[in-house]
Amino acid sequence: MTLGGFLLRRALVALPVLLGILFLTFMLVRIGDQDPVAMLAGPMADAPMLARIRAELMLDQPLLTQFWGYLGRLVQGDLGMSWQGNSPVTQAIADHLPATLELVTLAVGIGALVGVPLGLHAAERPNGWFDQLSRFGSLFGFSLPTYWLGLMAIFVFFYLLGWAPAPMGRVSMMVTPPEVVTGSVLIDSLIAGNWEAAWSAAGQLVLPVGCFTIVATAPIIKHTRAIAIEVMGSDYIRYARACGFPRRVIRRIALRAALVPVITFVGSEFTSLLAAASLIEFVFAWGGLGHWGLNAILLGDFAAVQGYVLVLALASVLVFALVDLVVMLLEPRARA
Amino acid sequence: MTLLDVQDLHVEFVARGLDNQLRIARALNGVSFTVAAGEVVGLVGETGAGKSLTALAAMGLLRPPARIPRGSIRFEGQEIIGQPDRVLEKIRGRRMAMIVQSPLTSLDPLKRVGDQLVRMQRVHGTARGAAARAKAEAMLAAVRIPDPARRMQAWPHELSGGMAQRVLIAMALVNDPALIIADEPTTGLDVTVQAQVLDTLRDIVAARNLGALVITHDLGVVAHYCQRVAVMFAGQIIEDGPVQQVFARPAHPYTQALIASTPGRIAQLGWTLTGGTPPDLYNLPTGCLYRDRCPRATTACLAPPPRIAVSDSHGAACHFAGEAA
Repeated sequence: MTLGGFLLRRALVALPVLLGILFLTFMLVRIGDQDPVAMLAGPMADAPMLARIRAELMLDQPLLTQFWGYLGRLVQGDLGMSWQGNSPVTQAIADHLPATLELVTLAVGIGALVGVPLGLHAAERPNGWFDQLSRFGSLFGFSLPTYWLGLMAIFVFFYLLGWAPAPMGRVSMMVTPPEVVTGSVLIDSLIAGNWEAAWSAAGQLVLPVGCFTIVATAPIIKHTRAIAIEVMGSDYIRYARACGFPRRVIRRIALRAALVPVITFVGSEFTSLLAAASLIEFVFAWGGLGHWGLNAILLGDFAAVQGYVLVLALASVLVFALVDLVVMLLEPRARA
Repeated sequence: MTLLDVQDLHVEFVARGLDNQLRIARALNGVSFTVAAGEVVGLVGETGAGKSLTALAAMGLLRPPARIPRGSIRFEGQEIIGQPDRVLEKIRGRRMAMIVQSPLTSLDPLKRVGDQLVRMQRVHGTARGAAARAKAEAMLAAVRIPDPARRMQAWPHELSGGMAQRVLIAMALVNDPALIIADEPTTGLDVTVQAQVLDTLRDIVAARNLGALVITHDLGVVAHYCQRVAVMFAGQIIEDGPVQQVFARPAHPYTQALIASTPGRIAQLGWTLTGGTPPDLYNLPTGCLYRDRCPRATTACLAPPPRIAVSDSHGAACHFAGEAA
């Protein structure tokens, strides 16, 4: 299969999925009891004013008509206006997405670098002391609520010990932020050669990334361990032993076989943490997409909620397509 | 020349039961046999008789909770039991090679057939590079795989069961071993492919004067391909000897029942024989283990039966083996 054919097929599959998600989101926000009109108009508004705003926002029309109109603007790249900031949703997404990507990419990246070797090591001696320890550790990581972890980290490392900077966004307010290029303050500072901002941005990253890494690592350890144990019990590993292959060769065969399912899992982990980032962003006033989306939901900012969900769905589609591409490179059976 | 000499081999599994009591399953209870160069020995018996366990023990592949409390396994004069892996790794796949029963799942799914054959040689230091590649292709041709040059490039998942089994035979032979252990090599294959694969194996073993231990539950395979046979029951060899003698004059009641229960004979005799289950390995009776199922059992069978010679190369572990059936 060619790369072009693969991408085309993926897009054709993704389209109805995205459409369905959009439809559900669109209807769900509207059948809730949130009334954005009252909120927008303020406490002084009278009935005619409410009606005028309602008509302006087209909220007085049938739901399907509204949805059809939304789709029409969507294909032109217009996701509507966010009422909370009175700015286009596309602009808001562009402003907030990099912060979340920075957080999630770092957490999942570190989580994979730490979790995969730990899981593999634990699988070498199932029920050995290291395995027990890692299972306890990953259960611990699983059980901690993200926001509680964030609050405790702030309490200990900022309030008590004073090691961490104030949990107020992505760069200290005393520092001139760099010009936006990638959206990651750390990378932008490095590009601009602004060492002071880079240092501050790195400092701000430590606590939220640390907390989120704990959340990301736990399932990676658990799954890598399970995958590795399954591989080590497989026929081809037993056969490799019967062939007299030394440990180092067998380990390489097993590692290669475990790689594909581990990569698939890390990919799905990335997409689910993208959605789960909102709480940790909230605690650290991170100003990322999750924080913004959470606010949109609380305020009944319909267009923003739709945009937020669309971005998450689109990210899932892209990440899984990327994972499948990598799998095709590594796994001959997937190429057939 | 004797290649493999197994004497009084015992294997047991230690397990902790739900009641926290240690329980011991005595899976092999004094197995003795030899395989010489140029000889194909069949090991037959029903499921759970200990055939595969014997093969694994011979390869030094047993892992806890299996343990060997007694016995000796000598290969080319060297004791296998208790040797560390780094010693055994130089024997397995090099001097003593195994053909396993699930060829499609046993090949490394992420390596081309040719590369796996090359790796087998490289790991054991027998050949590398172009020489290993040439040898690999020659081996594929020797096991009668059509168009071996093209098959070198095939992935395991592209092979049929029979083709994959041939590849496993090529893998086993590529380092010119002295002994082949084939554990139910054709179980997953249909009958015509089975015969082709076994014919190939027999011809190569004969041409190269190898020793072979063929594990099977198929008496037809034994009759066609083996010179000697050892019949296993409950972790013991209860009868052994040249195939023709054992099949013509089986001395042990179990062997008689086994032979009588082959499909051709059933038509003649009707369903009469080999009822019952093997004894509980956790709780072995003393004396003859076949006692409870044996039509000839008497109080004499409460004592363990010695191996009674029927001819100079044929014997059976039955108190009545010397008498006419």
